[in-house]
This record gives sequence, C-alpha cells and structure tokens, in this order.
Amino acid sequence: MKTFSISHKTAFVVDHCPYMAESSRQQIECDMLTKSRGQGVIPLAPVSKSLWTCAVECSMEYLRILYDIYPARKLVNYIVSDSEFHILNSWRQEDQNIQELMGALAAVGPPNPREDPECCSILHGLVAAVESLCKITEYQHESRTTLMDMADRVANRGRIICLTNAKSDTHVRMLEDCVLETIQEQNKLAAGSDRLMPIQQCELVLVHIYPQGDDTLVSDRPKKEISSVLSSEVHSVRAGRHLASKLNVLVQQHFDLASTTITNIPMKPTLNVCEQEEQHANTSANYDVELLHHRDAHMEFIKSGDLHMAGSTSKDSGLKETVTLKWCTPRTNSVELHYCTGAFRISPVDVNSRPSSCLTNFLLNGRSVLLEQPRKSGSKVISHMLSCHGGEIFLHMLNSTRSTLEDPPSISEGCGGRVTDYRITDFGEFMRENRLTPFPDMPVDAAGRAPFERAKAQLERHTRYWPMIISQTTIFNMQAVVPLANLIVKDSMTEDDLLTCQKTVYNLVDMERKNDPLPISTVGSRGKGPKRDEQYRIMWNELETLVKTHVGTSERHQQVLECISACRSKPPEEEERKKRGRKREDKEDKTEKNGKESEEKGWTPDSERLKGAIEREKEEQSESEVIKDSPDSPEPFNKKPRLASEEILSLEKSKGPVSLLSLWTSRITQANSRKHQEFAGRVNSVNNKAELYQHLKDENGMDVHENGKATR
Amino acid sequence: MPTVVLMDASLSMTRPVSLEGSEEFQRKNLAVHGLTMLFEHMATNYRLEFTALVVFSSLWELMVPFTRDYNTLQEALNNLEDYDKTCLESALQGVSNIVQQEWGSTCPCQVVLVTDGALGIGRGSLRHSLATLKQRGDDKKFPLPFPFPSKLYIMCISNAEELQATDAMDNLEQLLTLSGGEGQIFTMDGPLCLKSVQAMFGKLIDQAYTPFHAVLRCGNLASDVQVFPRPEPVLLDEEVDPVPKAVLTELEIVGFIEIGDIASPPVLSRHLVLPIAVNKEADEVGAGTADDMEEDTSTNQMAGKSPNFCVLLHGSLKVEGMVALVQLGPDWYGMLYSQADSKKKSNLMMSLFEPGPEPLPWLGKISQLGPISDALENPYGEDDSKSPFPVQPKSKRSYAQNVTVWIKASGLQTDVQKILRNARKLPEKTQTFYKELNRLRKAALAFGFWELLKCVAELLERECTLLPDSAHPDAAFQLSHAAQQLRLASTGDSQYAAFEHNITPMLTDFSGGGGGADRM
Repeated sequence: MKTFSISHKTAFVVDHCPYMAESSRQQIECDMLTKSRGQGVIPLAPVSKSLWTCAVECSMEYLRILYDIYPARKLVNYIVSDSEFHILNSWRQEDQNIQELMGALAAVGPPNPREDPECCSILHGLVAAVESLCKITEYQHESRTTLMDMADRVANRGRIICLTNAKSDTHVRMLEDCVLETIQEQNKLAAGSDRLMPIQQCELVLVHIYPQGDDTLVSDRPKKEISSVLSSEVHSVRAGRHLASKLNVLVQQHFDLASTTITNIPMKPTLNVCEQEEQHANTSANYDVELLHHRDAHMEFIKSGDLHMAGSTSKDSGLKETVTLKWCTPRTNSVELHYCTGAFRISPVDVNSRPSSCLTNFLLNGRSVLLEQPRKSGSKVISHMLSCHGGEIFLHMLNSTRSTLEDPPSISEGCGGRVTDYRITDFGEFMRENRLTPFPDMPVDAAGRAPFERAKAQLERHTRYWPMIISQTTIFNMQAVVPLANLIVKDSMTEDDLLTCQKTVYNLVDMERKNDPLPISTVGSRGKGPKRDEQYRIMWNELETLVKTHVGTSERHQQVLECISACRSKPPEEEERKKRGRKREDKEDKTEKNGKESEEKGWTPDSERLKGAIEREKEEQSESEVIKDSPDSPEPFNKKPRLASEEILSLEKSKGPVSLLSLWTSRITQANSRKHQEFAGRVNSVNNKAELYQHLKDENGMDVHENGKATR
Repeated sequence: MPTVVLMDASLSMTRPVSLEGSEEFQRKNLAVHGLTMLFEHMATNYRLEFTALVVFSSLWELMVPFTRDYNTLQEALNNLEDYDKTCLESALQGVSNIVQQEWGSTCPCQVVLVTDGALGIGRGSLRHSLATLKQRGDDKKFPLPFPFPSKLYIMCISNAEELQATDAMDNLEQLLTLSGGEGQIFTMDGPLCLKSVQAMFGKLIDQAYTPFHAVLRCGNLASDVQVFPRPEPVLLDEEVDPVPKAVLTELEIVGFIEIGDIASPPVLSRHLVLPIAVNKEADEVGAGTADDMEEDTSTNQMAGKSPNFCVLLHGSLKVEGMVALVQLGPDWYGMLYSQADSKKKSNLMMSLFEPGPEPLPWLGKISQLGPISDALENPYGEDDSKSPFPVQPKSKRSYAQNVTVWIKASGLQTDVQKILRNARKLPEKTQTFYKELNRLRKAALAFGFWELLKCVAELLERECTLLPDSAHPDAAFQLSHAAQQLRLASTGDSQYAAFEHNITPMLTDFSGGGGGADRM
C-alpha cells in the first residue's frame, strides 16, 4: 500500500458565492408534536436548508467518516471561496478535526445573497486548493528527511473535491482548464522550493449541486484524463439527501471503504443506555446497523468470490453493496487470544440513529461481539469480531479456515520437555515485574535510551543469574534471600536498598549460626543431600555468584558483595589450607572409598579409623565451617549424622580413653542413624534437649519459616 | 505454508533420457527421483509442512490430499501412471480449487510444478491459454493469479537450451509473471541425469524449504529455536520502502503484556516456535549437521532432559495469561504466547505484527513502551487492578463524542424534540435544556442554517404561550430568554453568533433559589 497515494491529501473547495444561499427546496418539518398537543395550534412552516448548508453538512459527514476510519495520515484542507478564498485549516495533523472546522465555518457564516455576484467565483478556491496541494505535509517532510538522497520516492498526489453550482458544461470545462493551468504554474514554482512539492497527480471531483425541482444544467461525466497530471470527473446532484448519499459513495471510493451491515442486533431494554426517554414498547425487536470500514475487512469474501450474501443493497448509501454479518450472542472473552488477521476502524453510516448508538455504546463499554457469516448451507462460521480499544471500535477479521499449524508436537515432547521442575511461578513473577507500560512523554532517558531499550536493559540485568529449574538453585528457594535478590538487579541502589541487602546477609549469617535447614535440592544426589555446613557453603557461593554479576553496576552493588565476603565465615587463607588438607585426606582414604561411600570411614570397626574420624570432626568443629567439596558435586547424604559425632566427641572428652562399650554403642547408633533421618529437634538440640517454640523468642519477629519457602 | 506438488503425467514425460550408462531412464523417473529427494528432506527437516500431490494430463487428479505423511506421498509417487497430453490450465484451476477448499483464500501456498516443458499442443496447451488470455469472460478466467498468496516453483525436467529452442521458456516465464512473480523457474544443468535432477531439487530445497533457525533471547536467557512455517519477508510500501523486510535470526524479547491488554491483535502470520538442540559436539561426531542430529533419538532424549528456556517461557506465559513482546527487526515486532489445541497439547507460538513503529494503536509506539519500574507508581496498581492499556487516542471518534448530523430529516427532528421535551420540564431540566439548545445552536451556526434558529425560537415562544397555569414561573422566563438568544444568533451578529459562545440560563429570582433543581 502506498503511503502517499492520492488520498493522502484532499482539498475540499466549497462554493460560498451568493447563489449558494438559495434554498435547496427540501423541506423539513420541525413542528412534529402538534397532533398530540392541544388543538387549535397552527403548526409552524417547515424549514429548508440552503445549498450552502447542504454542501457544508455533507462535506462534514464525509470528514466524519474519514476521520473515524483514518485518524492519521489522511489529511484534508478545507477552503471556502467567494470574492476571495478562505482557508479554514492546514495540513497539520492537529488541524484535522471536525470541531475546529465547525468553528471556522460558523465564523464564515452562510453566503451573503446581497454580495456582488460578479466578484465571487469558485475559481479563487480552486487556485488556492492547487497551491495548497503543493505544500508539503508533515508526513511528506518526515519521510523525505528519513529517506535523504532517495527523497524523490516521496510522491505528491492529491484530490480536489469541489462543491459548487456550475452554470453549464462549458463552465465546468473552464474550471478544469483553470485547475490544470494552475497546476502547471505551481509545479514550476514548486520545483525551486524546499517547502513545496510539484503535484504529480491530481484528481478533480466536481460536484454540481442544484435545488430540488430544477433541471440540471451540468451533465454527469465519469473520470477522464485531462492531462498526465490531472484527471477530472463531474457529478451533478440535487441538494439534500441525494448529495449526502453521493458524498457517502465518494468517501467509500476515495478511501477504499466497504460496508457491513450487522443484523439481528437484539435491543433489549438493558442495552438501551441511550435515549431512554425515547424508549418505545417494541424495543425487543432485532435491528440492523450499517458500518463503514476499510474494504480489506472483506478480503476473504472478495477473494473467494463469495460475496453472495451481499444481496441486499444498502439502504443508506444507495449504490454500494453491503455484506451482512449476524450478531452472535456475546461471550465474555477478553482473555481469549483470537487468531485475528486484520483489524479495521469502523464508522457507523447513521451515527446518531438509535440502533447505531446502542451498538457503539455497547462496544465502547468494553464488550466484544462475535459476528457470524450467514451461509447458505446453514453452517455457522464466525468470521469477524467487533471490539473496542481505547474508545475506538475495530472490526476484527477472524480466521475461519483450517490452520496449517494444527496438531503440532507438544512442547513437552521437544527439547527440555522432560524437565519437570521449571521455576514457572518465579518466571511468572519475573514477567509481571517486566511488564511494559507506555512512556509517551519520555522518548529517551538521560543516557539517550528509548523506553523499549530500557526494558531490554532491565531484562538483561534481571537475567544475569537466573537458574531455570528449582534443583539448580538454593537462594531463589529461600524467602530470606528475596529482599536482596530483588534489589541487586536494580540499575541504581539507594542507601536504604544497600541497608536492606546487608540486613539480608546478616540474617543469613544468623540462620547459619542457628543451623537452620536450607531448601537444598536433593535431585541428582542419592539420599538426603549435603550436610548442613556444606549446604550453607553452597548457598553462600550461589549468593556470591548472583551478586558478582551485578558488581559493576554501582559502588553500592560492590558493597553488597563486600558485605557477603566479610560475613562468610572463614577467612580465605584458612579455606585454602583446608582444601589442601582435604586433598591429603582424600589420598589417605582412597583405599576405602568406592565412589558413592565416601564418608563411610567414620563407623569402621577399626578404632584407629574411628579416632581419625573423631579427630577430623574435632578439626571441623574448631574451624566451624568446612569446605568439603565444590558445589558442583554435592556429597551424598550417606554420611554420619552430626549428632553421632558430637556424642562421640563428648564421650571422648569426658572419659578419656574409649571403652569397648562406648565404641560399640557409637557404632550401632551410627549404623542405625543412617537408616533414618534424624529428628530435627534432636539435631538442633543442646545436650539432647531441644528448645520448643524458638521463634516466639525472636524479638525481631522473624519467623522460622522464613528459612525456606519450599518446606519440602 | 502448504505445498501442492503438481506433477505432469502426460505421455511426453515418458520420453527416454539418452544416457551412456546401462539403465534407461524416462524423464518421469528423473522427476520422481527429484520429488523423492524433496519429500525425504521435508520428512526430516520440514515435517510440519502439509503437502498434496496432484497429477495432470488433459485431466487432473488429486492423488494425495494435504498430509504430513510423506510415506503416503512417496507411495503415490511410485505408482504414477502415464496419461495423454499436457493441459496446464485446467490443472492450475484444480490446484486453485483444492487449496481454497482446504485453506481458504488467505493462507499462502507454494505450488511446485514438475514438467518436462512440453506444454501441450492446440486447445488446452499453455500457448493457447496464454494467447486467449484477454478474450475471456469473467466465468472463464485464467486461474492465475491464484486468489490466495502463492509462490510458483516450476521444475523443468529439461535443460534451458531445450526450453529456449521452442517457446516453452517464454510461456513459462509468462506463467510466472501471471502468478504474481513470486517463485522461480528451475532447469537442469548439463545432461539429464540423476545427478543434475538432484542438483535442481537441491536448489529448490535451499530456496523454499530450509528451516528457519533463530535464537530466542530474553536478556541472558536464550534458546535455539526453529520457527515454522518460516517467516517470509514482508513488503511495506513499494514506493517509499521497496526493500522487503525479513525477520532477524535473533528474536529479542522486549517485555511482557497481559493477554487482555494486547486484545486479539491483527497479525500477518502465526508460527510455531520449537526449541531445537544445536549440536555443540558436531565437530567430534563428524559431518553431522544440527538437522541430522535431530534425528538422533539419544540426542533428543538428552535434549529433553536439559532445561530449555522455551519450555520455561511457555509454561509461565500459559499460567499467567500473558504474551511476550518480541522484536523481529528494526521497527518490527511480534508476540509470543502459549497456544493450546483441542487436545491439551500446547505450544509456544509467535505471531508477527505488521512492520512499523506502531502496529497496534492501543499499545501506542512500541519504542515508547518501557519497564514499569521506571514509572513513578506501578501503572498496574499494587493489586493488579489497573492497566496502562489501552492507550487512548488524542481525539475521540464521532460515535463517542455526540456529534450533530442532520443529513436526514429525522436527525434534525430528534434534536429539536429533545429541546422541546426538556422545555416542558423546566425548571427541573434547565441544564439539559440549555445543553441541547447550545448543541443545536452550534451546529446551526456552523452549517449556516440560521433559518433553523428562527424556527426553534418560534417553537420555544409558542411553548411559552402553551404553558399550563400550574407551570413554574421560571419556565416562562427561561423559554423566552432562550428564544430571544436564538433570534439574536440567527442575525449573524458577531456579538451573539460566536461559535464558542454558549447561551446560559437566565438568572431569575426563582432560579436563584431553586439552584438545586438544576441537578442532573
């Protein structure tokens, strides 16, 4: 579709000469209610519109339909001509509205019948229209600017619609010659100017208006090429409703419109939001409403040659055909995503009629109506939908044929389809945080980024560390980490944000001190997963990973990382030493180990070994936090529970040399303990006494449940 | 984009191909060989494509209706019989009917015509059809261009020299032009043999049946995907912007929007977004391409078990009832969403919007959509009770702003009666009375319809005389005041006929006290 086709610019030239003040002789009865009123009242004489009034109101109707369907890019320049020309608006988009034009027309007023007819002519207006067509519109300017050296691709075409009362066919020819001459003159002028463009193509539509009952002095003539630049057509029309239907046909031709009649509209009293006072008894009847819209909304019918349902010609537009679509009882389906192949703005043909305004009000209230295509076979095919978006009603074209995408492989059959623990809820939350909103008043930020670039940048920040499955992460399964995780992704952190992050870290330290359990995933490892201290190490490592990805964002982000490093239990060199120690141990134990039972040594009957185990345990105790392994290879849970070793430890401490009984008991206890998970209370107990309801003591009100949102 | 294979089964296709080798081939055998290669390719790399097989001579027959079962197609191909002369026009008409019956007239379709370039003689030959193009009535139109968007690929089992020796090439070129120019004529290079037919169909596969692979990105999360059917380049305005726009192979998510807010938008086309495993060890395995690896079941199982962003995205879009806005190129966008078919199966789907900075008026310019965190307060409200969409247009449409239209007498009569109705309920309806009066006044002034102002003034004066004794005294004052104002306006005197001027209720002793009665 060409942006700068003939319909980009329309110049309306309306004759304001004295003869236009003549009556159209179409009489309108204003005094309607006399019958029901008291007798003896003499009805007032009917009024009749002047030719000028007819011309103006029909042109306004043309514009109403045009602006309803094309709120932008289709521009009108309204010119009135008498002893001189009056340009009532400009090509600028903000000048394209009916209200402004009505005001300007009121200022012009009706033609003055006493003005000297010799000085008055439509020619003034036609010349002004040609000059105006040479003026560049903001869209042409913008396009030329972006195309730079290809600016000549931007065409300048236009249409002049002239509403006048011509004297004769010769007069019409004179007007055409004059327009052609002016175009040639203006094009020469425009060639040398930056703000003007030569007219490449101009369509002149002369509408000769004459009063009812008169014979026309001008004959109709279909479109004819007068020169390569100018084509012209003449319509000779009686004022009044003939003129109105003529302009209705023209607006459809000029802007590729088509008509759809919505039939079977139920107008129940509940629908009757408008004009309730006019409500009559028979409101339950079904009504028809005719709408205009771009003709592509009928594409399916046109292409398939399936326009047979368009049998009835439109009552209002007379000549044009209309496609009938049947109202389907509306379903509330705003959350349903229809497969829609086009959406076209509509304009009701008879905007103020009661059926029209009831339909439009119904839609403006946010409801949608599905429309059914009547078929000879009687099968029901939903082909369109009427729906309102932001105060504009659109006719949506729905796909009603077989889909080429039917029966696709399910997503669960493809890559990643077998994975079951995706963080669906978390990503849903992520999507909510990354929803979009319009920033019409803030095109670019300080860094020169458009809003959508900021949106992408935010997505980038939020996904620097984002494990996709639950078993890949610890920190995102912990409620306690949420405040930090939410703040660290921010572009800039406030002092308060930093404090919150630090608090989060302290809180984690506190949890660790209290030995709160962590929601470490056990997927992929046998048994119950790593030990508690190991769990914390994994958690700290993951938290560091997260924060490290944001460390470059700002000073405060850096401080969060520093806080974590400082709060993590062991100094780095100690960790290093420990690592070396572990290597030695590993060598030592190699003979015993067979891959999965790496920690079995603790309960070997050999007292030597037991001692070694106890010593190691002691060592671990003294260093409080021990790195056993990298987080990538979590140890299996098949190792001695903490309780057992502590018991042994205390035994050893209090009694010096170990008795055979205690050795035996400890061995049995350990063996048994492997078969069940230790009661949480005993694990956390002091001297075998567990304190109940610990959380009540917590002064800061922190709930123990915060330790892990995934309780299981 | 469904495919129709239109296979020439005329007698000329049985012409032997002169070969130095032992076995003797007919042109038909070469054609079958080429199509077998095409079907095999589709079965492995393009298996969601629907294909139909039509054979034609002087008659045409739908051998295999649209299917994804390439074995059936292959089987039918292997059992082709030989018929009489070539008559392309009726066959094309047949294709047109078959496609429209199955897919309607908006679904783009590819037609692969396989012929030896002997296009028939006499009536029904392509030469005859083209010669009589302009002498046809509406009922006997040439089937091209098809009513649906189409691409026509003509596979000639013959080489270019042979076709140029007759007018066959000219005729085929004319046919392609008639079809709308989308498509291509393929001929065989060198001697007619299996190798050259393979080369020719290889070119067709490269041109029309290579899968579209892309990377779907959301920040640092990404997945390799196949987009099916492959998105075709789109031409916007052939005058200002004559270069077709193509979808980039990097699909970048911009953000997310609720389904209710995006509100069934119009789309150019819909595509499945299928996650694929791009084989990173391709070098180790050898020459295996990613496509070959898709066949490997063990690889598939592996891929099934490793987390994929598409699955995560799909799951969350489905649960939350949202769509992801995705950038397809400069000033070109689309949306990703979960699409469920009737049988519980659901899929990640991508719809392409019309290229341009503002594809949906109710979203505004896409480039002006930013993260909600940038807004002073959450535009969705703390409890998701609001939405920043739809974006309201600057001006209201006529049906939403109470315009005045008097084209029909009834429109004018209704407006006059509204005033009279309110006039009889003065002073209770003072506000409505003046509102309607001013609406009429404005329109009458704009249309230069001063006679109407006088007429309504008269009507009001008469109402005044007809007031019952029980009427409120204020009513008479307001009626005569209004009538007088209308008369003044009808003189066109700039003092009274200003468009922006409004007639205000007369301040009377009664109305002053009864101000409360003006409530509406």
